[in-house]
Amino acid sequence: MAEIRMDSAVYRWVIVSTDNPMSPADFEPEPRKKGTDSCPFCPGSEQMTPPEIAAVRPKGGQANDPSWSLRIFPNRFPALRIEGDLDRTGAGIYDLMNGVGAHEVIVETPDHSKDLADLQPEQMELLMRAFQERSIDLRKDKRFKYLLIFKNHGASAGASLSHSHCQLIALPIVPKRVMEEIRGADRYYEQNQRCVFCEMIRQETSERSRVVLETPEILCFAPFASRFPFELWLIPKKHAADFAASPPKLLKETGEALRQVLIRIKEVLRNPSYNFMIHTSPLAATPPEGYHWHIELMPRLTRVAGFEWGSGFYVNPTPPEVAAKYLRGEK
Amino acid sequence: MPELRKDPLVGRWVIISTERAKRPDEFLDLETPEQEPPQEDCPFCEGHEAKTSPEIRAIRPAGSRPNSPGWNVRVVPSIAPVLRIEGDLKQEKQGIYEITSGIGAHEIVIESPSHVSSLTDLPETQIRQIINVYIERITDLEKDPRFRYVLLFKNHGQAAGEGQFRHCRSQLIALPINPIRVREELRGARAYFEMKERCVLCDMLRQEFDSQERIAAETPYFVALTPFASRFPFELWILPKLHAADFTTLSPEHRDDLARMMKTAFSKLSKVLNDPPLNYIIHTAPFRRPVKPGYWRTVDEDFHWHIEIMPRLTRVAGFEWGSGFYINPFTPEEAAHFLREAKETVAVHPSAGLA
Repeated sequence: MAEIRMDSAVYRWVIVSTDNPMSPADFEPEPRKKGTDSCPFCPGSEQMTPPEIAAVRPKGGQANDPSWSLRIFPNRFPALRIEGDLDRTGAGIYDLMNGVGAHEVIVETPDHSKDLADLQPEQMELLMRAFQERSIDLRKDKRFKYLLIFKNHGASAGASLSHSHCQLIALPIVPKRVMEEIRGADRYYEQNQRCVFCEMIRQETSERSRVVLETPEILCFAPFASRFPFELWLIPKKHAADFAASPPKLLKETGEALRQVLIRIKEVLRNPSYNFMIHTSPLAATPPEGYHWHIELMPRLTRVAGFEWGSGFYVNPTPPEVAAKYLRGEK
Repeated sequence: MPELRKDPLVGRWVIISTERAKRPDEFLDLETPEQEPPQEDCPFCEGHEAKTSPEIRAIRPAGSRPNSPGWNVRVVPSIAPVLRIEGDLKQEKQGIYEITSGIGAHEIVIESPSHVSSLTDLPETQIRQIINVYIERITDLEKDPRFRYVLLFKNHGQAAGEGQFRHCRSQLIALPINPIRVREELRGARAYFEMKERCVLCDMLRQEFDSQERIAAETPYFVALTPFASRFPFELWILPKLHAADFTTLSPEHRDDLARMMKTAFSKLSKVLNDPPLNYIIHTAPFRRPVKPGYWRTVDEDFHWHIEIMPRLTRVAGFEWGSGFYINPFTPEEAAHFLREAKETVAVHPSAGLA
């Protein structure tokens, strides 16, 4: 019998097939192409990207020269444009505004052959700090209400270039998914005066069946109502709404936990495509009390088809308990 | 300058990113589909009835026996059902989590006895029978008090989640709860109705007929349009021109016309995008059961059923998953223009003939 599980934070239902759970071997590995010819993200190709916004150059050097170990620049094909006003308008029954926003690319390593899972811990820490710095910088622009940091790894996850990179988009509105989480968390907080994510952490650390790894500050677990097989969340154990307010130690641990998890996913699922994104509080001055930032990581192993689009209901062929077991290294 | 547009029904914002605009033919090399296995293994073909579970319903004009050849449309249970039909509906709490038992029905509507891949290749008369079967199945499943909603959908092409065999079929799943996407639409429609005492989609249609720029096709009773806040390039909705909340109450005359419209709409998409992978779903009113007082009380007045067709030309990536925000690289106005201009092919697949 399949189970229909509800995500307590956002009122999202998921069908979990518990009868014949799909194991890692049941998912076809995706062929990986790492073409090298004229990669615009490689050192030496800096002129192929727009001028950089920031970069880390451990040995010093000029902006846009090849001596960097991490580099941030505007997306050459931005989904939103940085210039201009929002100009909210109505057109009869419709509402629209100008597509104002920021769309940046963060190249995590000069090494074209490396995935995020192959990076050194120090490099992951640099990346977390880059996320934080961009977030602090972009919130000065009052047109922006939300900053979404995300990664597409592999063609099935939407990566159009194979050189490992993350992206960020600053948005003039708080996006729907985040709004749903915030509303759900608010509702729970009003009823119980407790953070729903903190409650989840308590229950997961005591049950343990869905926990993949735990460090002093970070818990990584497969959520009870996982939408996708091997979906994982990384969450700070201590209540915190805003990722950008993380102290250095937490940032470092987040990077390390993410690295560990990516290594396991690469091994257990044979280098699958994946997306991850940071869900944090909106850029407004006071974060909602009941909200708790976290990273959602989703290997792209199944296709979302008509049923999911039409219903918003996800069908997950691998129960999170089974996924967690594989990722803990148990058989 | 890209635009942010808001969907008037559910309040979903979409980025219409004109700078990334592509021509329709630039979407085509997204993925090379895998080789289809030999047709003699296709479980959906006439003569292969033993390869499926026993049929639930079939249209057999000459009155042939169940599970034998001689049918036009055939409905069978899914061999890999996502929900099971047997059992009681139980709800359970585990700490802060909630579980409902996975009760439901999952059926396959085989839309042609011959190995035809697309609705485009079927004659209108066949599509008309398919519509009848859709309605019969939904009406039948409504009798089961455990169900609240039946979602009817199609996965056409591998990128849209179709299996190995490219045999024209749809699926339906009966659910013990109203799915969230449908609830969002129902809530959006109700909120608008409470404010204005009018149906939001009727208002939308009035505006669309005035401007004409997003209308792709029209028949006497139906319209196909590319929504103002389209999530996907060439997203296309088919709506009844006159207010109607429930797909299952369509009159015979309207069913004829819907068959004509579906044939037209799919032919146009196929023409412009060269038989693209696509999903479609039917969003109709939920079963109005007296579960609690006032449960969807005004749904007959406030909701407007429709078919959402979503060609799968772009990949949904991290940004869309994380934000629920879609980036659409093709304006709906341009999509409508291409679809309007497309002369749909009237040729009928030679093997799709009817008895």
